[in-house]
Amino acid sequence: MLEFTFIEEDDALQVWLKGDLDIEGTEVVDEQLLPKITSYSKVNIDFKEVPFVDSSGMGLLINMVDEIKNTGNTVTISNVRDEVYEVFELLQLSEIIGEEVFV
Amino acid sequence: MYRRHFSLENDGSANDRETKTLEREIKLARNIQTQLLNGHEPTVENSSVTGLSIPARLIGGDYYDFYVLPNGKLRIIIGDVMGKGIPAAMLMILTRGAFRSAAESTKGPGETLTAMNSAMYEDLRKLSSFVTVLCADWDPATKELTYANAGHTLPIIVHPENLLGDPPKAKGVMLGGLPNTVYKEESLYLKEEDLVCFYTDGITEAQNKAGELYRLDRLNDCLLSNCNQGIDVKDIEECITRSISEFTGDCAQRDDITMVLLKVNHDQTDITSYNSPVI
Repeated sequence: MLEFTFIEEDDALQVWLKGDLDIEGTEVVDEQLLPKITSYSKVNIDFKEVPFVDSSGMGLLINMVDEIKNTGNTVTISNVRDEVYEVFELLQLSEIIGEEVFV
Repeated sequence: MYRRHFSLENDGSANDRETKTLEREIKLARNIQTQLLNGHEPTVENSSVTGLSIPARLIGGDYYDFYVLPNGKLRIIIGDVMGKGIPAAMLMILTRGAFRSAAESTKGPGETLTAMNSAMYEDLRKLSSFVTVLCADWDPATKELTYANAGHTLPIIVHPENLLGDPPKAKGVMLGGLPNTVYKEESLYLKEEDLVCFYTDGITEAQNKAGELYRLDRLNDCLLSNCNQGIDVKDIEECITRSISEFTGDCAQRDDITMVLLKVNHDQTDITSYNSPVI
């Protein structure tokens, strides 16, 4: 089950995700995480503890990044595991959400 | 008291009726999907093809299809719609429609994917969804396999001498990812007895009770140990499903499992006709 922790620093938010990002994480992302992160001008999402992302998780991630960008704020994603990054590359995720998102 | 009891009973039977209606509609939806998905496997010269999709839930979001082109080539598509269950199944029908109409009017798999993305992009963005697909044209006359990729896994090529092939990498953004996407084609030539396995990640990401994934290595091993000369594609398909089932055991299926197998048979074209004297 997907969980998250966070630290606020002024107008920035650091989020650590933990667990598989798949369809089971829909409510956590859409109902808990998304309303929180759209109010910070800078958001970093750490993927170190995310071992698996499926197509539904990919959709959640794309929507999350789009929502943050639509508010004019910036979002970055860090510490993506190699096996997860392979899936991101296969789907050409950086072309969709922007290469600058991955740090 | 009586009124209350009556009212509760009434609510209960109304709920039962609604549940039954919902169950009936899901069964009908499943029938529609099964009928559309499991169409007749086409007969193609010098090759055999088969496709199989096992949904994780009552209905699924994986998709495969065949389309025989007027020039004798076979256009194959395999795809995975984001999500699972009924929402994914609805988008799968949309994908099928886009493929069927694009297949008729496009020259190659790259053009087919471009047309499908153009047709589906706005709907998919509106629904915050996307679809990964791989589309391939098989030419049984020249034995050339040409393909284009929209974010899907590449097929596995198995040669009869128990070697895995190395298909040229074709990359592309998934359908619904970016507008006006042009998909580049790659191609390779197959030989007699070569096998091509197109698959969705429901196979490689099938999980056992220990939380381990089936992974590509196991699928490769299964294909290598079962692709004996002369073996029928249906038998290979059965070997793969048995291998996954033995691996996952009692663990519930997490994602839809779909594969398309294409095998090049020995050339059976009757060449005597070419050598016969013209009388």
